[in-house]
Amino acid sequence: MEVRLSNMVAAKAISDAVRTSLGPRGMDKMIQTSKGEVIITNDGATILKSIQALHPAAKMLVDLSAAQDIEAGDGTTSVVVLAGSLLGAAEKMLQKGMHPTVIAESFLKASAKAVEYLEELSTPIDLKDKSALLRAATTSLNSKIVSQYSSTLAPIAVQAVTRLITPTSSNVDLRDIRIVKKVGGTIEDTELVEGVVLNQNVVVAAGGLTRIEKAKIGIIQFQLSAPKPDMDNTVIINDYRQMDKVIKEGRQYLLNICKKIKKANCNVLLIQKSILRDAVDDTSLTFLKRLNILVVKDVERDEIEFLSKSLGCKPIADIEAFTEDKLGYADLIEETNVNDIKVVRVTGVKNPGRTVSILATGSNSLVLEESERSLHDALCVVRCLVKKRALIAGGGAPEIHISRLLSQYAHTLKGMEAYCFQAYADALEVIPTTLAENAGLNPIAIVTELRNRHALGERNAGINVRKGLISNILEEDVVQPLLVSTSAIELSTETVCLLLKIDDYVQAR
Amino acid sequence: MSMNIFGAEATEEKAENARLSSFVGALALGDLVKSTLGPKGMNKILQSGSTGDITVTNDGATILKSIQLDNAAAKILVNISKVQDDEVGDGTTSVCVLAAELLREAEKLVAQRIHPQTIIEGYRIASAAALKALEKSAQDHSSDPTQFRQDLFNIARTTLSSKVLSQDKDYFANLAVDAVLRLKGSTDLEHIQIIKKAGGKLTDSYLDEGFILDKTIAVNSPKRLENAKILIANTSMDTDKIKVFGARLKVDSTGKLAELERAEREKMKAKVDAIAAHGINCFVNRQLIYNYPESLLAEKGIVVIEHADFEGVERLSLVTGGEIASTFDRPDLVKLGSCELIEEIMIGEDKLIKFSGVAAGEACTVVLRGSTNQMIDEAERSLHDALSVLSQTVKETRVVLGGGCAEMLMSCAVEEAARTVQGKKAIAAEAFSRALRQMPTILADNAGYDSSDLVAKLRAAHYDGQADAGLNMNEGIVGSMKELGVTESYKLKRQVVLSASEAAEMILRVDDILRATPRRREAV
Repeated sequence: MEVRLSNMVAAKAISDAVRTSLGPRGMDKMIQTSKGEVIITNDGATILKSIQALHPAAKMLVDLSAAQDIEAGDGTTSVVVLAGSLLGAAEKMLQKGMHPTVIAESFLKASAKAVEYLEELSTPIDLKDKSALLRAATTSLNSKIVSQYSSTLAPIAVQAVTRLITPTSSNVDLRDIRIVKKVGGTIEDTELVEGVVLNQNVVVAAGGLTRIEKAKIGIIQFQLSAPKPDMDNTVIINDYRQMDKVIKEGRQYLLNICKKIKKANCNVLLIQKSILRDAVDDTSLTFLKRLNILVVKDVERDEIEFLSKSLGCKPIADIEAFTEDKLGYADLIEETNVNDIKVVRVTGVKNPGRTVSILATGSNSLVLEESERSLHDALCVVRCLVKKRALIAGGGAPEIHISRLLSQYAHTLKGMEAYCFQAYADALEVIPTTLAENAGLNPIAIVTELRNRHALGERNAGINVRKGLISNILEEDVVQPLLVSTSAIELSTETVCLLLKIDDYVQAR
Repeated sequence: MSMNIFGAEATEEKAENARLSSFVGALALGDLVKSTLGPKGMNKILQSGSTGDITVTNDGATILKSIQLDNAAAKILVNISKVQDDEVGDGTTSVCVLAAELLREAEKLVAQRIHPQTIIEGYRIASAAALKALEKSAQDHSSDPTQFRQDLFNIARTTLSSKVLSQDKDYFANLAVDAVLRLKGSTDLEHIQIIKKAGGKLTDSYLDEGFILDKTIAVNSPKRLENAKILIANTSMDTDKIKVFGARLKVDSTGKLAELERAEREKMKAKVDAIAAHGINCFVNRQLIYNYPESLLAEKGIVVIEHADFEGVERLSLVTGGEIASTFDRPDLVKLGSCELIEEIMIGEDKLIKFSGVAAGEACTVVLRGSTNQMIDEAERSLHDALSVLSQTVKETRVVLGGGCAEMLMSCAVEEAARTVQGKKAIAAEAFSRALRQMPTILADNAGYDSSDLVAKLRAAHYDGQADAGLNMNEGIVGSMKELGVTESYKLKRQVVLSASEAAEMILRVDDILRATPRRREAV
């Protein structure tokens, strides 16, 4: 019993820590990491990741939030708050002397029932219905720090995902969407770019070019610097003349490579970073400039796949293999300078793959990071709709709905199970209560009114946080994907049951 | 005058003390794992002292393996639980609990001034009687495939019901039975691969034919390949180096350096050509493959998979029937692996490579999903238990009834046998029967039922001739285990009784514990 209580205390402490960040009027947290960096966020998963939880039960809640992040991408706060509330309910029942396995089993049954009710409540959507997707993305963004920019970010998220899907796809790989972050300007300047945006800037050190029309782009994985075999080596120089020769040969070697590149009609060169030696040195940069080739260096190895996919070119690992058919073609590659943000854009790509680039901007890195996280959540929300094409209302409406139906169902049961179902139903009310609390409303008044409206048959009545009253939440365009809610309920119940069944704590090797 | 017989820090515990210390150790351990027994058993958190990692489990072997012990008798119990894990894979808690209960009874008898040897004799008579009764009650359905499948399914269900997967036991029982039947009688669980991915819920787990490798296909290669001929290799694909320390080159101009570099590349190219000469269209390497050879291979239309770790390469070689090669001079001697289709699949947020239609038809992969890492790890342990029990059952096809039924049956048989025994041994035999009866008692206790009432009813039912009576754990009543389908493997039960009584016997025989001087360690 002591172990159980200690688990519950720890788990509830975690859930209380993130509780205030739930909902559109949720507060933000400032986190100072061990490295001294500061993060400002209200994304549950990010907060919990940065908390260094020690208690085993607390660690499990952190994992829970991470799992929701993987499965649905949004609702990472709700899932933890829900788990905390369920544990609170379980604790009360334990103190009445109910057996934990009975509670755990009933909870699992209740969650299955709850998911059933949710599915019944949901409305299926068509992926062509952009406005529905937009509403879901907006709802998710509204609870973030960047909420005032939701009108900018939501369409970007929707467009980005819809561009990647085919009518049959049941999942979207978010790695095909690249968010390039640049400090400068405001969040409003964030845009979905036709074509590709590069993380890196053009090398202008040797007076290089910044704009090329009719670009032929090559991605190279070899280096433009003095040769260096993998064996240790020394060049032995005996006299002055030899030194001259060495320098000359070195230049000749690089010039040959550059000429070969030019010969293949390449005029834009992306160079992969190398840890063994300089990817490109000043001499070769000068040569490339003279040959009118635009150079971008420090391309990371894991970017290669994305770039080659989106530019329609193949990476080239050896100068001998540098042929024209491996190049990608684009109408224009240009480094622009707007609001002090230098960005390289590639537009008019001839054979674009199924990829999307988003240019995210923000006035400082804190805002920018948070904006990226929020955008990621919005993308996940849209992806959830691709996975499971149904929407439900937001604003605490579904929670109240299933809570009401579950407690009705509990009346038809008997024994301990009935008691547990009732407790489960009550625990679900934590979501609307917290929403109201965070919005500065009177939670008791609001939740009771909400319950009343639902009892009168208004299935979609929810908390209208903006106006501070109860209204039909669907008319307010507050909607969320079904998957977010169902997975939050399933995952949190699963974790709570695992926690409930623990009765001992053993120090091991 | 006293003399030092032993070394400075060596200790000796004699007769009563020695026995007491073994009893105490064994009982403590038994009590520790007791609460995890049965379908309503509890879990334990294991926190590692060194790394702080946590494990949530109710698998007896896992718990016992990870706790630190300083008691000889307790270590014996840990060992029998390990042996049980290796032999049949499940029943690791039962064996430990039964041994502890036997010792608890023995302790009482010793207190009554019965000589340990007499107790051992009584235990031997009792365990022989118990095993005979168990064998008599065992049933064999191996001749009838549908009935046998049902048996397997029931065993899997029974095993899983005491684990974290209990809620979805039907789902996972089917999964486990399918996986084991694919093995066609082999007990080599290597063919069943378990991949764990956090996210999703437990019922999102599935069984997939073929083999899944948790790696990605290289950038240049096609993401889908049919009728693959696979060369599995463990070779360095950066540059072939002379492995002599301090080997270095001395040249007098950059041009020569460039030539050297070119030579290295040529060498790599030759290696790639040699690899391609095997007539393959997929190349899997354990080590990294650098950009240059990768692009060369891709040009030849070969799908490249790099950095498949040891386990991946070995499994791949097992399931596709290929050999792991490290030299490529004689293509005719290397056995290639083959499969019908290689493709990229997505699980959660990760991309993995799936090899389907592999040469070894037994191979399959179980993809486990769950909300937390602890959950998935525990699910894996549970599934592994179920799989090993099933694979053993395919060999030894007899089954017995679970739910405390088999234990009660044995207990009654032992009691009967004890009546005909003469002398003090009879008392010990009776004690054995009491210890067996403890198993259903603990089952009921863990579920929060009134154990003395239930067990008394159960015993009465067995004396009434209801040989299939056991505890219905869902409702807390005595019921027919046959109807409920609570079945266990005969081998498992037999092993539990055998090892537990052997261990108890061994500990009982001890009358002196000598502890050697701890080895001195250098001050850190």
